[in-house]
Amino acid sequence: MNRGDNEAMKLSRIEEILATEEKLAPSSGFLSGVMDRVQEEVRIPPPIPFPWKRAVPGFVLAAGVFGWGGVELVRVVGAAMKGNLLTTPHLSPGMLQPMEQAGWVALALGASLTSWLLARRLTGRSGLL
Amino acid sequence: MSHCRRVTALTESSTSEAAKNAALSQDLADVERVLAGEIQAFEGIVRRWQGPLVNMAWRYCRDRGRAEELAQEALIRAWRGLAGWRRDGSFSTWLFALAANVFRSDLKRFPSVNLPMDKVAEPSYPAAQHHDLTARLSAEAVRRAVLALPVRYREPVVLFYFHEMDVAAAARTMGLPEGTLKARLSRARGLLRRRFPQLEAEQVGEESAIRDAGKEA
Repeated sequence: MNRGDNEAMKLSRIEEILATEEKLAPSSGFLSGVMDRVQEEVRIPPPIPFPWKRAVPGFVLAAGVFGWGGVELVRVVGAAMKGNLLTTPHLSPGMLQPMEQAGWVALALGASLTSWLLARRLTGRSGLL
Repeated sequence: MSHCRRVTALTESSTSEAAKNAALSQDLADVERVLAGEIQAFEGIVRRWQGPLVNMAWRYCRDRGRAEELAQEALIRAWRGLAGWRRDGSFSTWLFALAANVFRSDLKRFPSVNLPMDKVAEPSYPAAQHHDLTARLSAEAVRRAVLALPVRYREPVVLFYFHEMDVAAAARTMGLPEGTLKARLSRARGLLRRRFPQLEAEQVGEESAIRDAGKEA
């Protein structure tokens, strides 16, 4: 008997066990349980769709803030790379204040986005849409 | 004799083909009625598929109560997504794939077995007077060991045997190419063989006893 045949013979016992599974019959209340849940589903009003039209300006604003922050960051890093590595970039208080406020707005938007994604994940849905 | 057997086999296969076609047309009719707003038509679908779904879920978790809960959840998801069934494939293929997704994601969140493969109990040595009991314990140990397989190997085994060793059907349910499924099955069998050398030894022992008896005769 070659190795292949031997393997097949050895396998057959485990294979036989796995192939001969007793069939379960669903319990008597299974069908009515499913149909009750279906009736419940019908009674529940459909979920309120996400107000995309109203949210679009907010998303555009957030994208603008993040974009502006990114551009500013690149500019500051670029200036530092040009030889001012040891000196901090000079920013006037008039320029620093709006940047700080923008930073807080960006942080708040980021926190909102994270909590929204987390909530969707916890309720069993994933992805942005 | 062989001609008779071939005719019987052909008759059986055409009968089962006819039964499949009848079930498919019934499914199609019920789905159309449900989509038209006749909720009670879903009962026909549940009646036809509750058994296979409970048995499939049972193979995933080996817990009767949970198997029914999982099967119920799968049917509710099917109810919600009935409009998503494209008529190009059979209803059962769509339903089993959907159910496999439900079972997989639920069992990922709440695993039924946390035992590593090497901690699964081995069957005890067979005692002649308790042969049936030993055989039953061995079978249960092998089935439990399937649940302790790594996830990528477990599901192909579960679905392959649920679909009565039909590789194509199991592959369709998992959404995998047949070759990938076969490779995973082969790896899973290897792991099971290594876990149960005693079952192999028992088999080899039986074979050599038969061979010896043959020589003596």
